[in-house]
Amino acid sequence: MSKIGLIINREYTSRVKKKSFIVLTILVPILIGAVGFAAIWIGMKEQKHFKVLVSDPDDICGGKIFVGQDEHPPATFYFTPDDLGPDLFDTEEYKDYDVYVGVGKNTITNKTIKAIHRDEPNLNTQKYISNKLEMRLEEYFAIDQGVSLTTYRKIKQSFKFVLQDIEDIDGENDSDRKAKAQAVGFAFSILIFVFLMVYAGQVMRGVLEEKTSRVVEIVVSSVKPFELMMGKIIAIGLVGLTQFLIWIVLIIVILLGVQAFFLADMDPAAIQAMTETQMGTELTGNAVGNDNEIAALIFEQIQWPVLLTLFVIYFLGGYLLYGSIFAIVGSASDSETDTQQLIIPVMIPLMFVYFISFSILGNPDGPAAVWGSQIPFSSPIIMLQRVAAGTVNGVEVAISVVLLIGTFIFTTYLAAKVYRVGILMYGKKASWKEIFKWLKH
Amino acid sequence: MEMLRVDNIVKQYAGHTALDNVSIQTKKGEIFGLLGPNGAGKTSLIRIINQITGPDSGQIFLEGREIKRSDIEFIGYLPEERGLYKKMKVRDQVMYFARLKGLTKTEAKKRLEYWFEKFEITSWFDKKVEELSKGMAQKIQFIITVLHDPKLLILDEPFSGFDPINTELIKREILALKEKGTSIMLSTHNMNSVEEICDSIALINKSKLIVEGGLKEVKSQYRSHTYAVQFKGMMFGFANALFADFSLEHSEQIDDDTAVAHVKLLKENKLNDLLKTVMPVVEIESVHEIMPTMNDIFIQAVTEDSGESIKQEGGEDE
Repeated sequence: MSKIGLIINREYTSRVKKKSFIVLTILVPILIGAVGFAAIWIGMKEQKHFKVLVSDPDDICGGKIFVGQDEHPPATFYFTPDDLGPDLFDTEEYKDYDVYVGVGKNTITNKTIKAIHRDEPNLNTQKYISNKLEMRLEEYFAIDQGVSLTTYRKIKQSFKFVLQDIEDIDGENDSDRKAKAQAVGFAFSILIFVFLMVYAGQVMRGVLEEKTSRVVEIVVSSVKPFELMMGKIIAIGLVGLTQFLIWIVLIIVILLGVQAFFLADMDPAAIQAMTETQMGTELTGNAVGNDNEIAALIFEQIQWPVLLTLFVIYFLGGYLLYGSIFAIVGSASDSETDTQQLIIPVMIPLMFVYFISFSILGNPDGPAAVWGSQIPFSSPIIMLQRVAAGTVNGVEVAISVVLLIGTFIFTTYLAAKVYRVGILMYGKKASWKEIFKWLKH
Repeated sequence: MEMLRVDNIVKQYAGHTALDNVSIQTKKGEIFGLLGPNGAGKTSLIRIINQITGPDSGQIFLEGREIKRSDIEFIGYLPEERGLYKKMKVRDQVMYFARLKGLTKTEAKKRLEYWFEKFEITSWFDKKVEELSKGMAQKIQFIITVLHDPKLLILDEPFSGFDPINTELIKREILALKEKGTSIMLSTHNMNSVEEICDSIALINKSKLIVEGGLKEVKSQYRSHTYAVQFKGMMFGFANALFADFSLEHSEQIDDDTAVAHVKLLKENKLNDLLKTVMPVVEIESVHEIMPTMNDIFIQAVTEDSGESIKQEGGEDE
């Protein structure tokens, strides 16, 4: 094995064997699995059947509501001609009913249905109750106004405003879909940012640890300082990729497991209801059909192989760039406290990029996004948002990747120069001014 | 036979010169003492020999040919600032460094077992370095330095931090390696060990080489021609006989009629002249020359050199 191979091997195995690595690598997917598990479990637990008492003194519903052929409806409707009001509903006589709905002529005028509950129905049940009541009241209202129900429903439909890019007139890239797709890219942005911070930070601490434990001079009497630095940077990058890979595999396995465990015994209607509920909470959409849109987005419109490949490329590029700069900081410091001061000029731009990644949400074609996706110090964090939104072409990505590679080669070259001087400077913290002097050596 | 030759090495750091045209030469199989006060440039020179840093000018030759990168496998280096990976197990650590020096896995394992058995420390194999005492860790560092059987061993302050027992152990090992033909360069402030084990020395002060040569020659170069004369008789008479040709440096009464005097020969006088002068007044029992210790030489050479450089600097001001 070559010397750099030996270094990579030592740095890699010493890290992946650490308890903290094993715990974090296994714990994160388990936590994500647990959240999924909890969401489904809570969803199932709330599948209580609701008794809805409709107080209808004006006989608007005529004692019936069309519920269709649902075998497991989340609620059943009961009617009373008495005008109950909340106070009477709260008496012993009506304690078997979970929800009280008051319907009258003024309900039609105000277009507001008021419902009072004991246990709060979940979103799915709420949607069921409101849908059924609304449909029944619409029937009454249409007849009252002298139009047919079909005509009424046609009139009721709202107009949809579709914004289209002249460059993309066939409408595949409408802004709404772009924004949603960009959100998926945003998740990757944040993941890359976190990975960069964690693993570039590990490079810095690793360099510092070798320096403070005084083992570094023994090592560099056998290998070139550059080999030691690159071995460390490469090994830690591989640790990051390993962790990412394990997470992806474990998350898929756990989610499939959760799905198989819970959903095997359930009937399709319940699954659909549950999916609607969950999607409903995630998005602001109000009509049935949102779930299909999201599913289409996630399963069809996002090009996962492209996105994941670019994730790996941009993570490695960004990591090598920031890792080499963090190596400079580690080699120029003499203690953990020193690094905190030296790291500030590096952290400020990185935090700035982090905030930009929020500001360009919904605007993946704006100047901030376009420039941010090309400048090598921000492209690893910004570009994936644009890729997910589908607003970049291959050339732009290629330019950005080439710029990133060129820049990390340059920063690695600088880091190597600072590193070989810095690691043997014991007992003093260098200022950035001194670091620039070392570059001239 | 020449082992290492350092030719006109110059090394400058921002603002100061660490090595100013330094040339030294060591022989195969000898222990060479590299001496000098703190900050003189010893570590800079050692790092250049180890190719950790490069010189601004000058050349290094190993066994007569210019040193190349791959030669570091023939050198064992124990730095003054030394440590180990704290969380790594002793066995893994020694194996790692042995393999970085180019040993195969099998060879490294064989030698590791040899040294650990020799030092009777096989029970430490699975211990982490952070569980070891400082002395224990230093033994491991010594093993790491010699495991690949280097031709040239460079030890920077090898005895610092060791207790007297371990110092003796390491000293014994250094001598044993010398017997086997290993050339050793020793940088130390411990002048007693220099006297005990070094064959030749070089003294660097303020980035310049000021003394170099075999231990005996250097000592002879720095002899002050002072003799200890033990005699029976009166000290008063002895002192009076000396006149202006000799100087009485020190005297001590041993018993009622026996005394020891340290006399320095002045001008061109020889020991015979001294004896002729004092024999008529006292009865001489023994005479021997007082040779300077390495400690004396170190202090004298550095003080004289610093004095001169202060004078020179003063002269420049004028």
